[in-house]
Parts: sequence; structure tokens; C-alpha cells
Amino acid sequence: MPQSAKRGWNRREFVSASALVAVALGLPAAAVSLTRLESADAPSDRQRLLMEDVSQLVIPRSATAGAGEVGAGDFAILALAHGLDGSRTPLKDQTAYARFTRNDGSIRHVAWLEKELDTRAGGDFLKAPAEARFALLKALDAEAFASRESESPWKAIKGLILTGYYTSEVGGSQELRYEPVPGRFDPDLPLTPDFRAISNDWTAVDFG
Amino acid sequence: MQFDAIVVGSGITGGWAAKELTQAGLKVLMIERGREIVHGEYETEMKTPWEMPFRGRGDAAQYVREYQVQMKNRHFNEFTQGHFVNDKDNPYATAPETDFTWFRSYQLGGRSLTWGRQSYRWSDYDFGANKRDGHGTDWPIRYADLAPWYDKVEEFIGVSGAAEGLPQLPDGKFQPPMALNVVEQHVRKVVADKYGRCVTVGRVANMTEAKPDEGRSACQNRSICARGCSFGAYFSTQSSTLPAAKATGNLTVVTDAIVEAVDYDPRTKRVTGVRYVNTRDGTRGSATARLVFLNAGAFNSVHLLLNSRSEAMPTGLANSSGVLGTQIMDHANTLSTIALFPQFGDRTTFGNRPTGAIIARYRNMDTMDGVGHTRGFSFQGGALQSNWGAGKREAGIGAELKDKLHQPGMWRFVLVAFADCVPRDSNRLTLDKVRTDRFGIPQLHVEFAFGKEEQAALAQAKADAAEMMTAAGGNVIMGLDQPGPGGTAIHEMGGARMGLDPKTSVLNKWSQAHDIPNLFVTDGAQMASSACQNPSLTYMALTARACDAAVKMLREGSI
Repeated sequence: MPQSAKRGWNRREFVSASALVAVALGLPAAAVSLTRLESADAPSDRQRLLMEDVSQLVIPRSATAGAGEVGAGDFAILALAHGLDGSRTPLKDQTAYARFTRNDGSIRHVAWLEKELDTRAGGDFLKAPAEARFALLKALDAEAFASRESESPWKAIKGLILTGYYTSEVGGSQELRYEPVPGRFDPDLPLTPDFRAISNDWTAVDFG
Repeated sequence: MQFDAIVVGSGITGGWAAKELTQAGLKVLMIERGREIVHGEYETEMKTPWEMPFRGRGDAAQYVREYQVQMKNRHFNEFTQGHFVNDKDNPYATAPETDFTWFRSYQLGGRSLTWGRQSYRWSDYDFGANKRDGHGTDWPIRYADLAPWYDKVEEFIGVSGAAEGLPQLPDGKFQPPMALNVVEQHVRKVVADKYGRCVTVGRVANMTEAKPDEGRSACQNRSICARGCSFGAYFSTQSSTLPAAKATGNLTVVTDAIVEAVDYDPRTKRVTGVRYVNTRDGTRGSATARLVFLNAGAFNSVHLLLNSRSEAMPTGLANSSGVLGTQIMDHANTLSTIALFPQFGDRTTFGNRPTGAIIARYRNMDTMDGVGHTRGFSFQGGALQSNWGAGKREAGIGAELKDKLHQPGMWRFVLVAFADCVPRDSNRLTLDKVRTDRFGIPQLHVEFAFGKEEQAALAQAKADAAEMMTAAGGNVIMGLDQPGPGGTAIHEMGGARMGLDPKTSVLNKWSQAHDIPNLFVTDGAQMASSACQNPSLTYMALTARACDAAVKMLREGSI
């Protein structure tokens, strides 16, 4: 049985349809209501360190470098401020994250994450041991993705960390394969354990 | 400036008009509102995501400010944004109830650089549709009139595709087809065996065989076409028609010039040339010619006719019928189904095939089996696998996540329905009474809505799609039956329709204005119905045919 069939995929795969639905209905895939950037979006040094650390926890070093090492944290900070993946869309529940919302109703993800992780760590998250930081983040991640309806800011943060990693040179061309000029199309190949996914499979990037 | 012919626009049909007319020996001016783009000098073509400031995804904040409409185009991203208009600088107006997304590319080559390249012949089910069900007015031509011109166009532009022997989707002069992937091959067999319907690979103007004499290579399976392709592997003005036209020595190209009016002489009842605005400095200019071809894109050609009103023709040029601007269309389309095929989890593919799979029309052909509609719909889509983006949707961090994203993910089959759009008087273009653009030209005003026919077709499409996917062993997870806004198919057409009767149509069977013999409109504006397959190939064939007719008339002295 292929691995994919064993996963509980129904709800998750439904969510994946959003990009296709957006195209079909002429909606912007990254719907944002941004009017202007605010200087308050400039990160502090600590926030940059935190995002680097969190990125590395999401995608750690293996045979290839991890996401923190390749700058995915900084990319996510930029991307969140500019509204990629709909991250400047106003939340439906304006009260839940009131302390961190901008005038346009969107959330300051990085400020929220800093506070949230420190709270969960009962102090300075960055000073907690590696295993503890991983466990805290894993719990936060599990809660955020437990329901489709959840508006947890973590969803967007994690998503843009992954974008930052897999569109970096290391993530895109060392961890995965980058094939700028395939030169052919092979319509049916066995998916063997040594097959690395193609980071620039654009159909998958857009709709997968 | 004096020419034999002026071609307004340099996109898919403008390039063809320039090629055909220059090759016939005419001195031609091709005038383009956008900037020059030189083949082979596509700025982002070879860039990697990590060389782009927003990694290829683009600055969403900028898009909201400047590309509110274009950002909804699936081909629009950080690599390609330079090939789309800035919406802020290029406004259009819509009626209060109208939601119309008008995707535009103002540049040398126009939308030939960004098009989806799907290339299908229309059949007599399409050219006979208006006559059969009474919507709109009858086409003055049938498939036989166009067949030799389809041959000519396909051979020149290079269309890869599979001959299937379908009367509703006639075979053409194809290069070898691209391959269906493993899941599509399976679905093709089931759908053929159980329903007698045809799943085939998208017929696409991406070549599988090189044309070395024209400096064009076979497709490299990159699927980044809208960035521009220096291999010349897909048809664009730059890769194909422009070099052919230039080689004659008869072509003059002017870019950065918006044609604001076509001049008409009421004494001779002929157009005499065009007036234009230089977009760089706002200065005005003009050119004269014996023939004028409008190829500005369906809506912009209609806009130009409306804006060329004069004392002699107060409601617009060539508008004695009063129908100019009406019966605009765009395919009603929606995501009919997504189905999962986990049973193929041990298979994958290599290479970025620049086309998908389609299911040819099968309703309302010889049997009227449409529920609540009298026309056709077809599907475009295909089977694809997820990749690293799947990680955004599910719980998981750390080594386990990294390991999982190392391989391709779940197979899914996607079917997007395109339904024939009925021509209606109420769907129309006018000049906005108040708003103008930065050069003082009245904005185009769009009034558009789909009706019960399109709704019914998409409802049936959704049900059919789910049934076919289920029969093939797919697990249907969602489907829609409501069309997106007009314009999302990027097949806007009509507004200056071809017809038999000068009282109810703008153009005759040669794409020639009934009222003005030396004026031709050969882009999407001429369409009298919409069919349910992509129209660009038909525009090209009609353009080549009109050029041939115009040159003959010119030589005979009849125009």
C-alpha cells in the first residue's frame, strides 16, 4: 500500500483545493487587504533570532542545512509583512488576537509568536533547551492544525518558513531537485525511495 | 507616415495580420500600445526562485495596490508580472452588478507571450450553434470555410496534439502529442470504455519537433512559458510571426503608441488611417493607409471602434447596425471536481509538461442531452502530484516533516469545466460617460453577467465530472458549479460580431466591416458565438483568411 493511502488525508486535501478554487472563481490566491506597510513591522533583533531558531526547528539540519541556517526566518518576516499567502487578510475573529492586530485587521504574526512561545516556555523561549523548544513548538503546531477553522497565526508563519526554505538554493536544489531545463517529460516512473521531489514542479507549487 | 496597411495590435492576431500582409507584398505598420520586448531578452526567464526578492511569489502588498485584477491570473507571479498590465495605470469601468476580471498584456507580442497556448479547432456544432438554438445570429461561415486556414496556421505555429477523430473537435496538422501521465492514461481508458467520451492530452502550441529553419526549438518541458521562451518553443508573436513579417522588409513596428481613433472619410466611405498617443511623452501622431486591420484584442478593438465615433458615425465606427459592443462573451468556467487517486502513490513523473488533459465536449451534439442548456461544455485539467507546499497544510515539524517533503505527494485529478457562453444583448461594452484614462480617452465600460444556460451547464458538468472520477476509482473531495466572474477564462470575445445581415452584425464573412470595405477586425471581437473550446486558434485562422481576402480585394480594386 502506498504511503499516501495510509494518511488521514480527506480534510487536509480538501484544504489544498484553495488555490484551484481561487483560480476557478477569479479570487486572488493571496487575498490581502493591505493598504500600506507600517514601520512597526520592522523586526527586533530578538525577533529575528527567534524566527531563525523556529525555522530551524521546523526544518532541521540533516544531510542538508536547515531552514534557519538558510535565512528562511528573515524571508518569513518579510513575507508576513507583505501579505504573502494571504497573511495580511483580516482575521474573522478580531478578539482572539486583539493585542497583535493592525488597524487593517491583520495580525502581527512575529510579535504574536514571540509572546506565545515565551508564555509557553514560562520565560525566555530562546534560553530553553533544544528538546524543550522543539516540544513546545510541536505542541503549538499540533493545536494550530487540529482544525481547518483555526485561525492560528502559526499556520501562516510555518507556511512561509517552508516557502523560504524550499525556494532557497539549499532547500530548492540540494534538499530537493531543481530542474530548470528538464528537456523531456517522463509520464510514468516508479516512485522509489531515492526519488527526490522536484522543487520547481510548478503545477505542484501552484496547485499541489 | 503612409502605408498600404495598418495593423493595430501585435498580439496573437496582430502578428498574423502583419505576417500575412507583408508576405503579400504590402507595406505594413504594426502599432502596439505597450513597450518593446525583444525575443531572447526575457528578463526573468532563467532566474531561480532564490534570485527573486519574493522568491517568485511576488510582493503581495504591491499586487494589491497595482495589480488587483491581474494578480488573479494563474500565470501571474513575480517572474511574469512584467508581462501583465498595471491595473492602476490602466483602469476600466464596470456596471454596478458586474464583476469582470479583464486580464491584459500591453507589450509587443501582447498576450501571445502569456497565453495558455491551448489550440483547438471549432466544428460545425459551434458555427451552427446560433442557428440551431436561436441565440444570437447565425455565423456566415462553416467549418469547411476555415479548415484550410486552420491547416496553414497549425503548421506554421506548431501545435502538438493527438488525432482522435472527433467531429466536435476536428483533428489538425499536429506535431506528435505530449504524453498523458500515468493517472490520466488510466482515466482515459475508463472514461472511453464506460462513457464513450474522449480524454486526450491538451493540444498545445508548444512544439515537440523543432523548426530549425525558423530558429525554434522543441519544448524543453520547463512550463514557465509566460516568462517568455528564448527557445521559441511555444507560439508567440516574437518567436514566430514577427520574424516572418520582418524578413519581408515590409514591416514597420511602432511601440508605446495607443491608437485612440480610426479616421473615416464620409466622402469615400473609407477609413484613411489612425491617430495615436505616444505613451512616453503624451504627444499625438497619425498614420495613413489603404487598409486598416484591428487586432487590439476583442475588447480593445471594440473600444477603438466606439471611440472612433464621428459626425458621420455618431454611435461608433462601422456601427450602422447598432449592435457594436453587444453580445460579448467569456467561457463560464469553474472547478468541477478534485478527486484523489492514492492508488497511484507508487508512481511519479519527471519534467514540467506545459499542457494538461482535456475531456472533449460530449453534450448536445446529435442528441440534445443537456439539462437546462442547449450548448456544450468541455473539461481541462489533469492529474498532478503535490510537493513541498503540502507541508503548509498539515501538522508536523522537524526531521519527520523534512523527510516527508523529500518526495512527491498525493495524486489528484482536477477538472475545470468551460461552458459555452450564450450571446446576449445585455452583455455589452460602452464608453464610460465620465471616466477617462491618463490620456483623456474614455474608459471602457463593461456590463456582463452569466445566465441560466451557463449555470445549468456547469451544474451538469459538476455531476458528470464526479461520476467519471468515481468510475475511475477516484475519491471526489470537492466540486463547484458556480462560474467565476466574467473574464476568468481569458476568452473574452464578441462585440463586433460577424454575420450575414448588415442590420444585425458589424462584420461580414471576411471579417470586413459591412459599412466600411477597407476596415477589418480579425481578433476575438468578430466572434458570433463562443463554443466551449479555446478560441485563439480560430482567431488566427480567421485572420489569415481575412488577410488573403483583403489582399485580393485590394488587387482587384474593390477596396
